[in-house]
Amino acid sequence: MLAAHLSPLAASLFSLLAIGSLLMAFVMLGSRWLKDYMLAFAAQSWLIGLLSATVAYYGGYTELYWVAGLTVLFRGLVLPWLILRILRRLNTAREVRELLSTSTTLVIGAGAVVFALVVAVRLADDLGLNSNVVVLALTVMFSMKLIGFLMLTLRHEAISHILGILVLENGIFLGTQILMPGMPLMIELVLLFDLLVAVACFGVLVRYLLTHIGSTSSHELRRLTG
Amino acid sequence: MSASLHVALLWLAPALAVVLGLALRRARVSEWLNLASAVAVFVLAAPLPFQFVAPVTLLHGYLIVDALGSWVVLCVAIVYLLSSIYAIAYMRQAAHSEGQLPVFYALFAGFALSMLVAPLVNSVGVYWIAIELTTLISTFLVGFERNAESMEAAWKYIIVVSSGISLALLGTALLYWGGSFVYGETYMLSWSTLVAAAPHMPPVLLKMGFLLVLIGYGTKVGLAPMHTWLPDAHSEGPAPVSAMLSGALLNTAMVGIVRLLAVTDAAGHGQLPHLALVVLGVFSLVVGALFIVRQRQVKRLMAYSSVEHMGVLALGFGFGGPLGIAGAMYHMLNHSLAKPLLFFGAGNAMQRFGSKRMDDMRGMWREFPVSGAIWLCGAVAITGAPPFGLFLSEFTILRAGWDGPHRWAAIVMLVLLIAIFVAFLNHFRAMYLGEVSEPANRTPIGGAAWRVLPMALALGALLILGLWWPPSWQSVFSGIAQGLGVRP
Amino acid sequence: MRDILDQIAQVAAVVLLSPLLQGFILRYEERAQRGQGPSLLQPYRDLFKLFRKQQLVPVTASWVFWSAPVVAFTAMLTVPILIPVLTDFPLPQSDMGDILGGGLVLTLGTFFVNLAALDTGSAYGGIGASRTVMIAILAEPILILVFVGITLMAHAMLPFVVNHLLVARPEVYWSPTHLFLIAAFFVLLLTETDRLPIHSSTHIEVYMIEEARVLEYSGPLLALLKWSSMMKQFILYTIFCHVLLLPWGLSKLGTAMGLAGAVLGIAIKFALVACAVVGVETAQSRLRFYRYQEPLAAAFLLAVLAIVANQIR
Repeated sequence: MLAAHLSPLAASLFSLLAIGSLLMAFVMLGSRWLKDYMLAFAAQSWLIGLLSATVAYYGGYTELYWVAGLTVLFRGLVLPWLILRILRRLNTAREVRELLSTSTTLVIGAGAVVFALVVAVRLADDLGLNSNVVVLALTVMFSMKLIGFLMLTLRHEAISHILGILVLENGIFLGTQILMPGMPLMIELVLLFDLLVAVACFGVLVRYLLTHIGSTSSHELRRLTG
Repeated sequence: MSASLHVALLWLAPALAVVLGLALRRARVSEWLNLASAVAVFVLAAPLPFQFVAPVTLLHGYLIVDALGSWVVLCVAIVYLLSSIYAIAYMRQAAHSEGQLPVFYALFAGFALSMLVAPLVNSVGVYWIAIELTTLISTFLVGFERNAESMEAAWKYIIVVSSGISLALLGTALLYWGGSFVYGETYMLSWSTLVAAAPHMPPVLLKMGFLLVLIGYGTKVGLAPMHTWLPDAHSEGPAPVSAMLSGALLNTAMVGIVRLLAVTDAAGHGQLPHLALVVLGVFSLVVGALFIVRQRQVKRLMAYSSVEHMGVLALGFGFGGPLGIAGAMYHMLNHSLAKPLLFFGAGNAMQRFGSKRMDDMRGMWREFPVSGAIWLCGAVAITGAPPFGLFLSEFTILRAGWDGPHRWAAIVMLVLLIAIFVAFLNHFRAMYLGEVSEPANRTPIGGAAWRVLPMALALGALLILGLWWPPSWQSVFSGIAQGLGVRP
Repeated sequence: MRDILDQIAQVAAVVLLSPLLQGFILRYEERAQRGQGPSLLQPYRDLFKLFRKQQLVPVTASWVFWSAPVVAFTAMLTVPILIPVLTDFPLPQSDMGDILGGGLVLTLGTFFVNLAALDTGSAYGGIGASRTVMIAILAEPILILVFVGITLMAHAMLPFVVNHLLVARPEVYWSPTHLFLIAAFFVLLLTETDRLPIHSSTHIEVYMIEEARVLEYSGPLLALLKWSSMMKQFILYTIFCHVLLLPWGLSKLGTAMGLAGAVLGIAIKFALVACAVVGVETAQSRLRFYRYQEPLAAAFLLAVLAIVANQIR
C-alpha cells in the first residue's frame, strides 16, 4: 500500500495538504458569512485536488491526474459557482440566529478532531499498520465527517446544510485518495457527476423553498410535527 | 428468455414511458403510457424470482440477477402497478392543472425505473449511486403539490437522507480498503467478491463498515432513530407517491443491508451485526408504537406504520436463519400489498373530507360503502391480524426469534405488535363508528372504479396469501437463504 | 568568561533595543495610514522625560505600589537569560528555566502589575485589572498549549533544542505542526502586545484594557512600567522569531562580530514581523469585548490541530 511506504518529504507534503483541508473545514465552521463558507469549500476542494495529484506523482497512478484535474474543475470551480448562483437569490447573507457561538463550535470541532485521532490510532493498531500517513488519512476523513455533521446540526441556513453535505463527501474523497488510490476510475468519476446532479437538485429545491415558504432558514420549517 | 433480455425489457418499459410522456406532453397519453409500462413491468417481473434462483451476473459483473434482488423487484413491480392504477383518478382530482400531469407521470415512471435498477446492481459503489438517484427523483415527487408543507417535507427528506447515506459511502470505502488487503489495489467491489474475501479481511474493518452501512442505509429504510424524515415525506406527497415510497423504496434500501449482512456472516463475525439489526428493529417498533397511539393525521399514521414494519423486517433479518429470512421475505411482499391499500384509502378520505386530520373524518361507512369496507379490512391486515398475510409472516419471524439468542426481542416485538393493533384500530373505530358531525365540506370525488380496483386487488391477494403459503415460494426463499450464506 | 559577557550582552540588548521596536511599530502604523508618524527614537525620549519627573504616590497605596514596577522590570530582565536572543547555544544560567518557566516568569510580572492596579483603590485600576485578567484567562491556556506543541515537536523543553531542530531539518519546519504553531502564536502575539483586534491604546479611560492599570503611576515608576511592557513585547517577538519562525541568523561562536551580526539579524527579522503586525492591524477593526474569545478560540483550535498533526508525524 502506498501510504505505508513514503519518504519523509512526501509524508510531510501529504500531511500539509490533508491538514490544510481540515483547516478549511474549520474556517467553514467558524465563520458566519455564507460567502466565506463557499470560498473555504472551494479552497478545500483545490487542496484535495492537489493532494490527488501528489498521490499520483508519488505512487505512479497516471489516472489519478485525471481525477485531480476533474476534482479541481468540478468540485473546485463548478460546484462553488452553482452555490454562488443560489446565494445570489437569497435575501440573507449570513447566519443571524445561531444555536451556539462560533467559538464554542470551534472548540467542539477541536474535540471532534481529537476523538477522530483516537479512533484512527486504535484502528491502525488493530490493522497492524504503523504508518503515520494512514493514521493521518483516517483522522482527517473521520474528523471532516464529524465537522460536516456539526455544520448540519448547528447551522440553520439551507446553504450551510448543502455545504455540510458537500464537506461530508469531501472527507470521504480525501480518505479514499490516500488510502485507496487504486480505486476504479469509473466509480470515482460517477461519484463526481452524481454530486453535481445532487447540487443541481438542491438548487432547484432552494428556489422552491424561497417561493413557497419565503425563507431558507430551518427555523421556519416548523409546520410538520408529531 | 435470457437474463439480459429480461432485464433490458424490464427497464425499457418505464424508460419509454418517461421519454414518450415528456415528448408528447398530453395528460391522457401520459396516464395510459404509465399504466402500460406498469403492466409490462409486472408481467416481466412476476416470473423473475422463480427463474433466477441461481444468480446470473451481467454486464461484466456490474449487475446480478439473483433471487433476493428479483424478489424485491417483484415487490416494486406490484406497488408500481397498484399505484399507477390508483394515480389516474387521484391525480385528476389533485392536480392544479392538466399541464402538471405529464411531468408527474414522467417523474413517477422515472422513480419506478430507479427502484427497479437498484436491487439488481452488483457493484457496491454503483448501488450507492442508484440509491442516491432514487432519493433525488423522489424528492421532486414528494414536493409535487408545491405548498409550504410539501416543500418542508421535501427539504427535510433530501437533507436527512443525503447526509445519512454519505455514512453508507464511508462504510463502503472502508470495506473497499479492507478488500484491498486481500485483492490488491484495484479490483471490482461487488457483493460476491466481498463474500469471497470476507474471511481474510481485517475484522475491525468489516464490523465498522457494516455498522456505518447499517446506519447509512438504515436512514433510507426508515429505521429509528434515523426515521425522522419518513413521516414528513410519506405524508406530504400525493397518495400514489406515498404508496411507492412506503411499499417499494424502503425495500430497495434494505437489500444493501441484507447483502452486507451476508458478507459479515461469511467471515464469521456475525454476532455484532445481527445484534445491531435486532436493536434497531426493536427501537423502530417502540417509536412506531408510541407515535401511532397519539397520532392526529391519517397519512402520518400510515407512515409510522411503515416505520414499525421496517422494524419487523429488520428483526426478521436480524434473527436470521432460514425461518427468519423466509418470514422477512414474505413480510416484504405482504407489506408491499397492504401499505398501498392503506394509502389509497387515506387518499380517498383526504380528498373527500378536504382535510388530513382524522378528527375531521367521520362516518366513513356512509361516505365510502365499498372502498371503506376494503380500507377497514386493510387496516386489520396491516396490524398483523389473521386471516391476512402479514399475520403469517410476523408469526414466522416470531418463531425465528424465539429459538435464537434474541428471545427478549421477540417478546418485546409481541407486546408492541399487540399495542399497535389496539392503537391503530382505535383510530379507525373513531373514523368508522364515531359520532358523525355536520356534513359541512364534502368534496365529491370521481373515478370510483380506478380507486377501488387496486384496493380490491391488494386485499384479495392479502387474503389469499394469508390462508395459503405457496409451496413453490419456499424454494425461492431457501434459495435466497442459501445465497445469503445461511445453512438450512 | 566570554559566555558571561555574551549573557550580559543579551540582557542589555533586550533592555536597550525594546524601545526601538516600539518606536518602529508606532511609526509605521501611522505611515501605513498615510500619516507622518513619530520618530523612531521617540520612546527613548519619553522614558528619559519620565525618569526626570516628580514621583507622586497616592495616599491609599501600599508596598505593592512601589514593588510592582520593580518586580515587573526584574522579571523582564530575567527572561532574556533563558531564551536564545543573540546566540544559538545555551549560555550560563540559561538552564534556570525552560520554555514553560520563561512563560511563568512573564506572567509573574503581569500579575504584580494587576495587584498594583487594585492596590490604589481607583475605579479605573479595577476595570483595567479585571479586563486584563479576563483576556489572560482566555490566552494563557493557548500559550500553554503552544508550549506543549513545541515540546512535543522537539521532544525537549529547551528553546535551544527547538531552534537547532528547525534549522537542521526542513521537513520539520514545513510540517503542519510547526506552521500551525506559528499561526497560533501569531494570534497570541497580537493579543499580548495589545494590537488590533484586541486593542486598547486609546486615551479614553473607559475603553482601556491594560493602560488603565497604570493611571495612578508617574515619574520613574511609570517609566519602569512602560519599559517593562516594551521589553515584554520584545521578548515575545524574540520567542516568535528565534524559536518558531526565523531561527536563523544567531551567533554560533559568541564573538563580538557574531553578536553584532546577530543584532543586525534581529533588526531585520523583527522589522519583518512588525510589518506583518502592522499589516494585520491596519486591515482590522477593533472587536467588541465579548468577541475577544473568537480569535483566541481560533488560536486554540490551531494549537490543538498542531498537536494532533504532531502525533501523526
